[in-house]
Amino acid sequence: MMNMAQARPLADARKSPVQKAPAPRPARSISPQVVDIGVQVAVVVVLAGIWEFGARFGALNPFLLPPLSMVLVRIWEDLIAGTVPVDLGLTLYRALTGFAIGAVIGIPVGILMARSAVVRWFFDPLVSIGFPMPKIAFLPIFILWFDIYDTSKIIMVAFSCFFPIVAATYAGCSSLDKWPIWSARCFGAKERELLWEVYLPMAMPQILTGLQVALPVGMITTIVTEMLMGGRGVGGAMIMAGRFADSVGVFAGIVQIILLGFVVVKSVELIRRRILIWHPESRR
Amino acid sequence: MSMIHTAAATRGRAHTASAISVSDVSHTYGARTAGGMLALDGINLEIGDGEFHCLLGPSGCGKSTLLYLIGGFIPVQAGVISTSAGPVTAPGPDRSIVFQNFALFPWKTVKDNVLYGLKKAGFAAAEREQRAQRYIDMVHLTGFENAYPSQLSGGMQQRAAIARTLAVDPGILLMDEPFGALDAQTRRVMQEELRTIWRDSRKTVVFVTHDVQEAVFLADRISIMSARPGRIQHVIDVDLPKDRGEEILENRAFIGLSEHIWRLVREQAVAATRGAH
Ligand SMILES: Nc1ncnc2c1ncn2[C@@H]1O[C@H](COP(=O)(O)OP(=O)(O)OP(=O)(O)O)[C@@H](O)[C@H]1O
Ligand SMILES: [Mg+2]
Repeated sequence: MMNMAQARPLADARKSPVQKAPAPRPARSISPQVVDIGVQVAVVVVLAGIWEFGARFGALNPFLLPPLSMVLVRIWEDLIAGTVPVDLGLTLYRALTGFAIGAVIGIPVGILMARSAVVRWFFDPLVSIGFPMPKIAFLPIFILWFDIYDTSKIIMVAFSCFFPIVAATYAGCSSLDKWPIWSARCFGAKERELLWEVYLPMAMPQILTGLQVALPVGMITTIVTEMLMGGRGVGGAMIMAGRFADSVGVFAGIVQIILLGFVVVKSVELIRRRILIWHPESRR
Repeated sequence: MSMIHTAAATRGRAHTASAISVSDVSHTYGARTAGGMLALDGINLEIGDGEFHCLLGPSGCGKSTLLYLIGGFIPVQAGVISTSAGPVTAPGPDRSIVFQNFALFPWKTVKDNVLYGLKKAGFAAAEREQRAQRYIDMVHLTGFENAYPSQLSGGMQQRAAIARTLAVDPGILLMDEPFGALDAQTRRVMQEELRTIWRDSRKTVVFVTHDVQEAVFLADRISIMSARPGRIQHVIDVDLPKDRGEEILENRAFIGLSEHIWRLVREQAVAATRGAH
C-alpha cells in the first residue's frame, strides 16, 4: 500500500473540492456536497455576470471584451449553422485519438522500463530529455513527415501525451508493493501472468494520474496545433476569427474550449473513481 | 467441516509427501553490502509429513524470514531447504502461505481474492464458486464477499487471507501469525477450525506465533528460537491427545507444558532486550 500513497499528492492536487467532502461515498444527500457545488456554481455565475455587465456598461471596450451574451448567441448561431459541432468534434477527435495513441504506446513502454533494464537504458535518457522539452517544437518536422492534415496533428498530440504517461507508468510500476506479487506467485502465477494480474492493477492509480495529466496536455496541444496549421477545428476557427478582427468569434472559441475541457476532465475523474472503486481514495 | 476436506485431502497428498527439511540455513539481509545483517544463523529443522509445527521466538528473531525461505520467496543463501518435491528454489502451489500482513490483492473483493488462488490451482468454475463460499463462511466473512480489503478491519482482512490460502488446500501450509489481529474469542474459534482442518487433511503446517498457549494447543512440536540472529534453541514435543477441544486448556499436562515453554521463551525475550542495549 505504501507506493499507492505516493501517487496521492498529485492526485489530491487535481481533486475537486467536491470529492474532499467528508460525507460517506454512497451518500447523495443534500448536505456538504451539494452546498459545495452550489457555491462553485455561484462563483462562476458571479464572474459571468461581471463579464456581461462590465462589457455592456462601458467599463471595457466591447471590441476588446464583447459581452458574454453576445458570445453565447454567436455560439448558438454557429451551433445551428453546424460549424460548432464540426469544429468541436474535430478538435475532440484529434485530442482523444492522439491521447489514446500516446496511452497505448506510453503505458507498455512505462511498464517495460520498470521491468527490463535494457528497455530502461534505452528509454530513460529519451524520457528525461523529452519530458521537459516543449514538444510543439517538433510540429514543423511532423508536418514535413506527415503532411498538413489530421495525421500530423494527431501525431503531435500523441507525442506530447506520451511523456507524462510514460513517466507516471514507470514511476508507478517501479515502486510496487511486493506483497501482492508474492501472493500471486505463491498461488502459482507465472511471470507473464503477473503483468496483467498484478503489476497493472497495482500501478493503476499512478497510471491514471499520468493519464489525467496527459489529457489536458493533449487538448492544449490540439488547439495550439490547429492554430498554427489552420483549417477546421476550434483552434483554426479562432485564428480565422482573429484574422477577420472578429473578437466575438475568438471569445466564442475560448468559451467552447473551456466547456470542452471541463467536460472531458470531469469525465476522466468519474472514470477514475469507477476504476479505483477498490482504492481507499474513492472512499474518503 | 470434515466433509469439506476429505476429498481435498486425498488430492493434496497424492502428489506430495509433504515434509520439510531445513539444514544449515543462514540468512543475511543486505549481504551484498558492507553492513549486512545476520537474521538466521545455522537453522536445522526436520518437519515430518503431516506434522503441525509451531515456531516461537521473540520479535525480530527471523521467524518470518524462515517462512519466506521455505516458501521460496527469498533465495536460500546458505544451506539447503527441501521438500519431498526437491530443493526449494521458488514459490510453488504445494506450499501456500498466510502472510503476517495478509497481502491480499487490494483491487479484488474478498470473493475474488479467494477465487484467484482457486483459479490458479485449476479448480473447475462451479467448484471454485462453491469452495470460495465455503471458506468465506468458515472464517465468518459471510456477507462481506463483495467488500474490498480496504473496507475491512485488520482482523477481517486476516481472515480473508486465511480463507484464500486454505481454499487451495496446499500440502504444506505456512502461517505467519495468522491469528495475530483477531480478538481472543475469534482466535479460539479459528484455532479449533484450523486444528480440525489439519486433522482431517493431514497437511504439514508451519505456524508462527507469539502466543505460547496457542502453540501448545495447536502443535505436535514446537521450536523455540533465540533472539537475533535466529537459532533453533529448543525443540519440544507436545504430548497431548490429538483431539483437543476447549477442555484441554484445563488439562494439567497442557498447563505444565505451557508454563515450561513460557519460561523458555521468556529467557530468549530477555536475552533479546539485553542484546538491544
Ligand atoms: N527486507 C529486510 N531487509 C533488511 N532486514 C530485514 C528485512 N526483513 C527483516 N529484516 C531483519 O531481519 C530480522 C528478522 O526479521 P523477521 O521479519 O524474520 O522477524 P520475525 O521473527 O518475523 O519478527 P516478528 O515476530 O516481529 O514478526 C529482523 O531483525 C529484521 O530487522
Ligand atoms: Mg514476522
